[in-house]
Order: sequence, then C-alpha cells, then structure tokens
Amino acid sequence: MEPIMIKNAIALLLLAAVGAIFVSLLAGYMPDEQLNLTARYYAERTAQDIGTANIVTAIVVTYRGLDTLGEVTVLFISAAIVGLVLAQGRLPTNVPGSPQQPRVPVGELLSTGSRLLTPLILLLGIYVFVNGHLTPGGGFQGGAIIASGMLLLLLADPLKHFSHRLIDVIESISGLLFVGIGVLGLLYAGGFLDNRLLPIGTLGELFSAGVIPLIYSLIGLKVGSEFSSMLASLSETEEA
Amino acid sequence: MVSPLYIIAVALVAAFLLGLLKEERRGLAYSVTLVTLALMSWISANWLWLFISTDAVPVEIYTAGTAPPFAINLRMGLVEAALTLLINLTGLISGLAMKDSLLRQGRRAMAVWLVAVMALSGIVLTRDMFNMFVFFELAVIATAGLVLISEHIRNDGLTLAAGFKYMITSQFISTFLLIGIIFAYHATGTLNIDGMANTSLVLLNGGSIAFFLMFIAIIAELKPFPANGWALDIYESADPAFSALFSAATGAAALYAADKLLLIGGAEWLPIATGIGIVTFVAANLLALPQTHDRRLLGYSSIAQTGLILVVLGQRDILGEHTLFIAGGLLLSHAVAKAGLFWLSGLVAGRELNAWAALRSHPLLVFAFVTFICMLTGLPPFPGFYAKWELIHLLAGEGRIALLGLILFSALIEAGYLFRWFGYVMKRESPAEPVDTAPHKTAAVLVAVIAAWGLSFLWGELAGALFGRGNILLALPLLFALSFLLLDPLPAWLKNTLAIAGMVAWFYLTYTEYDPLRMIFAAIFLIGGALTLLASYHAHGKRIGFYPSAMLMYAGLAMLIRATSTFDFFVAWELLTVGSYFLILRGKHSEPHALSYILFSLGGAFMILAGFALAAQGAPHFSLASLQELAQPLAPWVFLLLAIGFMTKTAAIGLHIWLPGAHAEAETDVSPMVSGILLKAGLYGLIMLLLTMGRQNFYGVDLVNAMLWIGAITALIGNLLAIFQEDAKRLLAYSSIGQMGYAMFGLALMNHLGWLMALMFVINHYVYKSMLFLAVGGVAKRTGTREMYRMGGLITLMPLSFIATLIGIIAVSGVPPLSGFGGRWIFYNAILTSEARLPMIILFLAGPIAFLYLFRLIYTIFLGQLKDEFRRVKEAPFWIILPQMIYVAILLVVAVVPGLVLRHVDAYLDQFFPNGGLSWDGMIITSDFGYWNPIAIMIIVGVIFMTLFSWLLFVNRRAQKVKQFNIVFSAERPFRPETTHFAWNFFAPYRKALGFLTLPLVTLFWSTMTDFLHTAGDLTRRFYTGNGQTYAYHLLGFVIIVYLFGMGIQP
Amino acid sequence: MMTSLAHWAMAAGFVLILIGFYGALTNRNLLRMIVAFCIADTGVNIVLVAVGHMRGRTAPILDSAVPVADAVSRIIDPVPQALVLTAIVIGLGVTAMMLAYALKLYEKKRTLDIAKFTELKW
Repeated sequence: MEPIMIKNAIALLLLAAVGAIFVSLLAGYMPDEQLNLTARYYAERTAQDIGTANIVTAIVVTYRGLDTLGEVTVLFISAAIVGLVLAQGRLPTNVPGSPQQPRVPVGELLSTGSRLLTPLILLLGIYVFVNGHLTPGGGFQGGAIIASGMLLLLLADPLKHFSHRLIDVIESISGLLFVGIGVLGLLYAGGFLDNRLLPIGTLGELFSAGVIPLIYSLIGLKVGSEFSSMLASLSETEEA
Repeated sequence: MVSPLYIIAVALVAAFLLGLLKEERRGLAYSVTLVTLALMSWISANWLWLFISTDAVPVEIYTAGTAPPFAINLRMGLVEAALTLLINLTGLISGLAMKDSLLRQGRRAMAVWLVAVMALSGIVLTRDMFNMFVFFELAVIATAGLVLISEHIRNDGLTLAAGFKYMITSQFISTFLLIGIIFAYHATGTLNIDGMANTSLVLLNGGSIAFFLMFIAIIAELKPFPANGWALDIYESADPAFSALFSAATGAAALYAADKLLLIGGAEWLPIATGIGIVTFVAANLLALPQTHDRRLLGYSSIAQTGLILVVLGQRDILGEHTLFIAGGLLLSHAVAKAGLFWLSGLVAGRELNAWAALRSHPLLVFAFVTFICMLTGLPPFPGFYAKWELIHLLAGEGRIALLGLILFSALIEAGYLFRWFGYVMKRESPAEPVDTAPHKTAAVLVAVIAAWGLSFLWGELAGALFGRGNILLALPLLFALSFLLLDPLPAWLKNTLAIAGMVAWFYLTYTEYDPLRMIFAAIFLIGGALTLLASYHAHGKRIGFYPSAMLMYAGLAMLIRATSTFDFFVAWELLTVGSYFLILRGKHSEPHALSYILFSLGGAFMILAGFALAAQGAPHFSLASLQELAQPLAPWVFLLLAIGFMTKTAAIGLHIWLPGAHAEAETDVSPMVSGILLKAGLYGLIMLLLTMGRQNFYGVDLVNAMLWIGAITALIGNLLAIFQEDAKRLLAYSSIGQMGYAMFGLALMNHLGWLMALMFVINHYVYKSMLFLAVGGVAKRTGTREMYRMGGLITLMPLSFIATLIGIIAVSGVPPLSGFGGRWIFYNAILTSEARLPMIILFLAGPIAFLYLFRLIYTIFLGQLKDEFRRVKEAPFWIILPQMIYVAILLVVAVVPGLVLRHVDAYLDQFFPNGGLSWDGMIITSDFGYWNPIAIMIIVGVIFMTLFSWLLFVNRRAQKVKQFNIVFSAERPFRPETTHFAWNFFAPYRKALGFLTLPLVTLFWSTMTDFLHTAGDLTRRFYTGNGQTYAYHLLGFVIIVYLFGMGIQP
Repeated sequence: MMTSLAHWAMAAGFVLILIGFYGALTNRNLLRMIVAFCIADTGVNIVLVAVGHMRGRTAPILDSAVPVADAVSRIIDPVPQALVLTAIVIGLGVTAMMLAYALKLYEKKRTLDIAKFTELKW
C-alpha cells in the first residue's frame, strides 16, 4: 500500500474512535425540559439585578465578565503578535529595486460607493454595540461590523494607510477603561466588573443596566480597532 | 490584603498601557513590564505570607458582585498563593534574563509576556471551568506568539515550526475541552469546578465522557508521553528564558488544573492519572538518555518531572493529607531547578552538553549547576528528598510495590543523565566561546540558587512540623561542610587546618556517645579522616571545590554512625555518597568512573530506601533498632534490599565494577579517603543490618549463608583481578574488593570470632590501604606514571615510601609479625568454629593470591633496575610521607599490643555472641584452638630476620657491584617496548591457568544493560518524526488509548 | 427522542468536527490545515449552541414578547450562547495566529508543506 493510503487509513481509524466517543455523547444527550439551576437564576434575576433586557449580554459582560476580559485580551495579543510579525516580515522584502507590480486603478464606482457606505457601516456598528444590552448584538458584533467598514475601504483602495498609531491608541485606551471600570467595581460596588457602579435604571431603556452599555461600547471600539489593525497589517504585507 | 484579582488587572492595565507607548521608548516599556511583574509577585507573596504566618482559610473572590456558581469566582489559598508566586516570580526573573531580546522586540512582545504570565496565574486562581479554558487559550496564544516573535531573533525557522506544531496540538486540545465543558455543564447545570465536583459529574448521564474530554485536554497540556513531540521542539528551539517559564510556570499551572479536574473526577480517575504519569516519567527519562542537545534534554526532564508529580496527584487516595507536602516538594524542586538550568543554558554558548564545560571557569556557576541537578535528583537537603522519602514510604506502606519500583528505576535513569552531564561540565574540554556573564543573566541563575536553598530550609522545617523530623540543613556536620563553600576563597592550607580541627572537635564532642563498635568506626571516620587530610597539606593554591566535597562526605559519615532512625541514616548515606562522588570526580581521568560510582551508589541507595520503606509499613518514624522486630514475610525482603544496597558500597562481586576506576583515578590524597574510609560505611551498614535482623530465610535460602558465599567469591576474584594489574593504584583498588570480601565473610560467619576478625579487618584495612595508596600515590606523583613496569629501583631514591610499602605489604598479606597476622589468626580460629567448609577453602585460596600481587608492589616499584628518566626523582612530598609514617607507627603498636583496641570490642561482642570469645591474659591471647603471643612472635620473627639478613650480608661481602648499564643490549628496538620489561604481564602463567575467572563478565553484563537502555531510548525517540501532523496522530492515539482504559475501569 | 432539532444540530456539529480533523490529519498544506481547523471550530460552536437548545422556547431577550415574569418558562438556556461568543472570538484569535505562522513559515522555506518542517525531532 502507498504510505499516503496507510496514513489516511490510520486517520480514518483514529477518527472512527473519536467519532465513537461523540456518538456515545450524542446518544446520551437529552435536551432539558426545564432551565437548570444556573440558567434559571439568570432568567429570574437578570432583570432586577443587572437590568439588561438581553440576558446573554448580562452573562457576557457581567456574570462572566472575566471571560470576556480574557477574550478581549486574546484579540489584543493576537493583533499585537500578527502586527509585529507582519511588520518584521516587511523589512527584508522591501529592498529597493524589487519589481513593483503595476496596480489596476480602482474604479470610480467602487471608490465613491465605499465613501458613501463606510459611514453607514460605522454607524450601524456603533448602534449594534450601544444597544447590546437591549437587542441581539453587542460589542463583538459591533466591532466586527466596524472592521468590515475598514475592510471595504481597504478593498476600494489597497494602498490606503490607516494610522496604526491611532488604532493602537483607541485599542489601548478602551482596554484600559474596561479594566479600570472592572477595578472600580471592585472598589465601589460588589466586585470586579460589577455593573452596578451606575444605577441600573429602567429595563429596556438605552441608559440602563449600569455600566454595561459603557463596557460594551469600549469592547466594540476595542474589537473594531483590533480587527482593523489585523486587516491593515495583512494588507500592508500584500503590497510589499 | 490586596485582592488577587489585581494580579490579573495590573497585568492587563500594564499590557494595554504598553500599547499607548511610542515604539521607540523601549526602555520605559521594559521598566513598566518589570515593575508590573514585581507588583504581581508582591501580591502573591503577601498572600503566601498570610497563609504561612497565620492559619487563615482560603478566600473566595467573587466577581460581578454575584456568588458562584452564577458568576466566575477565584480562590486564593496556600497552594494558589505559592503557585502564583512561583509563576509571577519566574515571569519576572525570566523577563530579566530576556532583557536583550525583549528590548529588541519592543513593547508588544512585552505585553504578550505580561499576558502569558497573567494567564498562567489565572489558570491557578479560577474556580470556573470555562474561565479556565479562556485562560488556557490565552496562555496558548501567548506562548505561540512569544515563540513566533522570538523567531525574529534566531531567524532559523526552527522555532517557527515548533510553534506551529504547538498550535496544531492546541487546536485538538481546545476542541476536546470545549465539548467536554459544554456536556459537563449540561449534566450538572453549572460551570463551577466545585459545583461539578459536588454534583458528582462522573456519575451523571453522559457525565463520565464529558469529564473524560475535559480531563484528557488538561492532561494533554501536561505534555504526557507520547503526545508531547511539540513540547520538546519548543524546549529545544525557544529562548531559554522563555523555556524556563514554559517548564516551571506553565507546568505548575497545568498540574494544578489537572488537580482541580481530579477533584471532579473522583477516585475512579486517580489510577488513570497515575498510569499516565508513570508512563511519562519512565519514558521521558529513557528518551532523555541519548540526548546531546542541552535544552532538549531539559525538555525531556521537565516532562518526566511533570509525570512524576501527576503520579503523586493520582496517588492521593493513599497519600491523603501529605499529598500537598509531597507534590509541593517535587513541583518546587522541579520548577526552581529547571528554571535555573534553563537560565544557565542562556549563559552557555554551545548547544551540545559538552559545551557546558565552559562553566568550569566560574566556580559560582558550577555550584549553581550542582545545586540544580542535586535538587532534581532529590538528594538531601532539597525538598524533593523529603518528598521522595514520604512518597516511597507511603507507597510501600500500601503495597504499591510495582509503582515504587518504576519510580525509583526511572529516578535512577534521570540521575544517570544528569550526573553524566555534570561529568562533562567538570571534565570535558572547555569550548573556545566563554560563558556570557551579563549581570542580569547571572542574577537570574543566582536567584534560583538562593530559592533552592531557601526552599530546602523551608521543607526541612515543614518536615519537622508534619513528621517531627529534624531539619537536615540544621545538622551541625552538614552546616560545617557547607560553610566551606563560603570559605572556598581561602588558601588550601588554612581550610585544611580548619577541616582537621573540625573533625577532631566533633569527635571530642561526641565520643562519649559511641559504644565500642561504633567507636571503631567513629575513630576511623573522624580521626582517621583527619589523619588522611594531613596529606592534603601538600596541595598549593586554593583547591576550589575540594573541601566542600570532602567535608560533605565526612559530614555524611559522622551523621551515619549517630543515626538512630532510618530517616537520619538514609540522609547521612546520601550525603556521604554525593560528597564522595564530587571527590572522586576531581581525578584527571575519572569522569566515567565517577559516573559509574554515583550510579551504583544511587542504585544501592534506592534499594536501601525501598528496604526502609518496606520495613516501616507506613509508620512515619522507624528506628533502626526496630528492624529486629520485623517478621516474615516482610523481613527477608527488607534484608535482601538493604544487604544489596550496602554491598554496592563495599563493592561485592557483581556490584564491584565502579570501584577500581573510581579509586585508582582519584587524586593522591583522595584515594585513601574513598578506599580506606568510605568503604567502611558499607561495612557499617552490613553490621547494623546483621546485628538487628540476623539470619533471614528467603524462600529456603539462608541469606546470611549467601552473603558468606558472596564474601568468599569476592575475596577470591578481587585478589585474582589484582594480580593481573599493571597500574599500581588499580592493583590496590582490586585488592580492596578482595579485602572487603574477607570482612563480609567474617561478618557472615555470625560468630564471635568472625565478627572480631571483620572488625580487625576494618581497622587494618583503613591503616594499610590508606598508607599504601599514599605511598603509591607519592611515587606516581614523582614519576608521572602509575604503570609499575615503567618504574623500578626507586628504593634508594624514595626510601621512606619504600618502608611504608614494605610494612604495609607485610601487614596486608597476614604474615607475622604485623597486625595482619593477628587478623589471619583470629580468622582461622573463626572458620574452624564454623560449618562453612567450601567457602572456607575458597578463602584459603585467596590468601596466597594476595601475597602474589602485594609482592609485585615492592619488587616492581622499588627493587630492580632504575629507569634512566627517573634518575633524579626525589622522595615524595613531606606531607604525603608524614601520614604514612604515622600509619607505620600505628601498625607496629597494634602488632605488639592488639589488645589495645580488640579487647574492648571482644568484650562488647559478648552480648551478641556470648560463646567463643577470646581470653586476654596479659600479652597472650587464647582461643579454643590455641594461643597467640604477639610479642613473642615479634621477637622470633625479628631474630630470624636479623639472622638471615646478617648471613646474607656475610656471604655477599665479596660480591662485586655492577653498574646498571654495565651490560650490552642487542640493537633491536621492540615494537612495544613495555613487553620487554620483566615486570610486564608478570603473572602470565597464572593468567593462563586462572584467567577464565577474570573475564570481565560482570562489566559486560552492566554495559549490556546500559547499552540496552540507551538503545531503547534511541529507538523510541525516532517516533518523534518532527512532523507536526504526526504529532497530531500521537495525540489522538493517546486520547483513544486513555479513553479505552478510562472507560474500561469505570463502574 | 433522536428526532429533536438539538440532536440533528449536534450530530451535524460532530460531523463537522470529524471532517475538520480528517482534513487536518491528511492535508499536508498548512493553509488547508488551517481551513480544516476552522471547519472543526465551527462544528464545536454548533455543538455548543445545540446543547443549550430547548424545544419550543425563544431567545433569552426580555421584551414585550417575553415578560420578566414568564422568562423562566419561555427562554432557552442563555449560558451556551454566551460561551459560544467567547469560543468564536478565541477561535478567531487562534486562526489569525496560525495564519501569521503560515506566512512566516512560507517566507522561510517557500513551501507550505508541513512535512518539510521537521528539522527538530527525536
């Protein structure tokens, strides 16, 4: 038998065994009829304790806020590493005299269209993260939408340079404020990332749920700038 | 108290702040990083102090103002405080050691570094399963990121490939972890670890598979064999300061995560953890054997240690409350030593193990290296020693013998490659590139050294509090020995004086405590030791390293005779072993011999440890005296283990191959110490054993009888091997094997006279072997060779050495009138009272053989033709001659009045063997078979000698003296000039007749064993193909095998 | 019970994971491996969400349709939804890192074949 076939056969064999584990999980699975202890607590208490209409947001930003801080940090270091590594890669290839490929000029339609659409996309992104505590969506989704606006700009004009400095500053300041609010919760409210630093207000209003809208906005800005920074770094390697 | 959440918050604030800084302000960014890490360490240290100084209970820290399980909570207890301190400090010091590369890579790399350290602390602190997953992923990404960034500096692509392999593995791991977590949540309705444990996840529907998936994912982070190829590649290629963090901190965090998982899994999963741990421990050590790349070797060793700690976690059902003490001792030993070694590897330019010889020019760094490997090997006084002792005892108490055996076997392999490495450091050619002694890098190493000794003290105190043992580091002899580390810059003569004074003073302080039996050993170890040290005055300069080693050995010996509990005995045994190893290693060509010495000794020590553990049956305290209360079926096993252990030290046949090289290659003044003195430690052990346990029946074999046979055969073969040696010191070394055989034989006779003879041998052997080694050493020093056929005719040039040798030979060979004859006389009396006829005949045979080789010493070295090149040779240095003359005096005195010492011993032995003693009547000693009058013999022999001597002078008065070159040589120049010398291959006819007895079968056996292990390791490691995809296959295969085992044993 | 939506979704998730794993085990091209892992990640996310699904209930958002008082009986489990958000973001970070790795590896050797990066072994 060819070595490649043996390899594939072993892979199939291993995966059959892994599949068997999954099958037994699946066979033993029974959907809950009632909410379990934790979920019931969230369903009953979120409105009065946290004040968000979107329970998932309450979990993401407050109850499991430490996870979210970790997530943001994951993005932060990925962006930092990708940026750093791609910047390193750029140096050796940028030798003078390397053949520059002629670029196809960007069409009028595309550049005008992107100029029209980008503000709208940014606005949508901001809307999504500002209303994260009320409607589906939130900081991550909003941030991703903002980054997609940046992507559109890059597609329209691949030579466009974003100010890395500006992105870095937005990213860092929003990160600092996020942690800062968390620490304030530790000092002046019930614990790290407790949202009741500000009054929780009336359920369903924009200015409610304590600091959650603030945190989610910061997350939105941070995620948006991190994604944008990764995109910018990637596009800059391409032009080299 | 500052909330532990600040450990996380501070790190994140700093990381985000670094993003604000300008790229150019690297110095500032670096300061921010270090200050932050220091702050994190300070927070942990504060908590640790709280838990150590008070009996505060662990603190639960809620987040989001909501109680668990509804929000994530952290816990800060003693373990968490210690582990986060370990992690944060390692991060800080590694950050310091990485200064250059961090400054080159800039602020973003520093931010990643901070996040990595923070994530590891998070893994330790969190009590939420999913939160732990997040921290794990953070740690993985930060790790992979640091590897990726550092590639910029190495620029060889190796690091890069390693990091990618890690990412592949972590993808599989995180898939399993997430699936496991979500099903565990579904089964229990909580993500809280304690919540899952309380609801007995594994008993719920689908719960045990969910648990398995989480468990295997966390275990895979521990780099278990065989799913660990990626980790090795990272260890090999990454920046050593990063590897320090990866080994010490990541390992600690992952182990604690596994510990939390086992809390959920309950008792059913403990055997699985144990199994994975022990397989990893054995396999990784085996695979480390053939490694030549330093960092990869350290990687294997890290993996092995992690495996061992996993075993401890898996044995918590029997270790109970001591789990923490044991696992903590092993973990901290591993972490500090491994981090220290990785930092040290940053100072060494070359990557081959040989390249570490560069350390040799820096005694402080050598000391650091020694500290680390002794700590890893679990030698006293390091925490790993206490941990190993308790672990082995508890395992033995529960009858988990197979596990115990595997642990000790694997620990021996580990000691093998670590001490082999140390041999390279001390003996291999120093590479051209010097050690990088940048202050921030050496500071990191020194911090680890300080931590190592600090932890040793701490663990000693803990052992005192928990088990009522004394702190080893507070033992006065050991402190005295260690103080020579600080005194090392002083000149050698001053240290020598201090050493002698210390030993005599210790004897003076303690001599009232010894019974006559111990007094013999105390006198030999301390006074005898001081005497041999006189010879050390001949050395000039500072003799760096000699005194700490020698004093360590003497400290061990001094503690050995005072030990009453098995623990104290074993501590002393290990100390004297290590000390003597360092001494032996000092010889010019002693590298391989010192290695085989330490391996045999540690192997023997492990046997002793196992014997003691088996005897104690879990009791925290076991006195040596209670050995006699042991009954069947345990007693013969204990006896066997202890006897084999002690016989490695006395070099009984089969276990003797380390001795000739070790004794012969040692320095001139070291040979008498390790031969005349150190060998007695083994005899002391045997005496202690036989006194307490007596005869033991092992499946129908009388073990004492077996010892009798071994003694006789050892005596015969040892002597036979000695006669064929060309090297004078080797000859003496083999002769020691034979002499120890005699002593063992005497002890094994188990009667009054046998013991008396053995003790007489103990004294005599010390005196004449020390003397002969010094004499021969002095000659070798002057002539520059130890080959006897190169010497000759030195009698007129080195008359004092000649006299010492002559007297020594007369004493050894047991001819009248010197003390050797007394020994023989008692001995013949002893065997006449015994039933053992056949071994007796063998022993009779050995007697004349001894004479054959001894005669060569005089004949070949001092008589015959003087060689041209030695015409200007002077007498040996004064300080080497002086102790010899003292020994001559002692021999003469003992020959005339043997009763001086023996009387007391004889009387003392009456309580053990009431019958068959000697009667001492003035100068006449009477046994059942006859009498011995030493003075009369001395006079008779003296008269006969003088008569013959005068007669010879008389008949030769007309003889004509012929000058040495008054002869005619033929013009031929032989191909091998030494073959023309009469003394070369002197006993060729005997070799023809008896040579078959000297075939190196034993050497062959042991070298085949080591080759086999080596080859096994070498073949197995091929399995790590280097292909990241293959590693994924390994991982999945591992998961499935564990699954089959795990599910197989579930109820 | 095998007919419930959650079971089907979960089965689909598991199949995606296996497909992803197979791809990662058999493709030697780094980029294909990364894509395979993305597929497996998606599978994991589907399984996560599926576990939280409950028949006949609605999204955990309190509004006029789901008053606070009825929430316990009307909404599905919100926890897996929160977890999956985290899992997605982390998966994205990992993918970005792997891509950066692939780029650098390609720069070094001008190949994307994983079997060519085996200098470190044994």
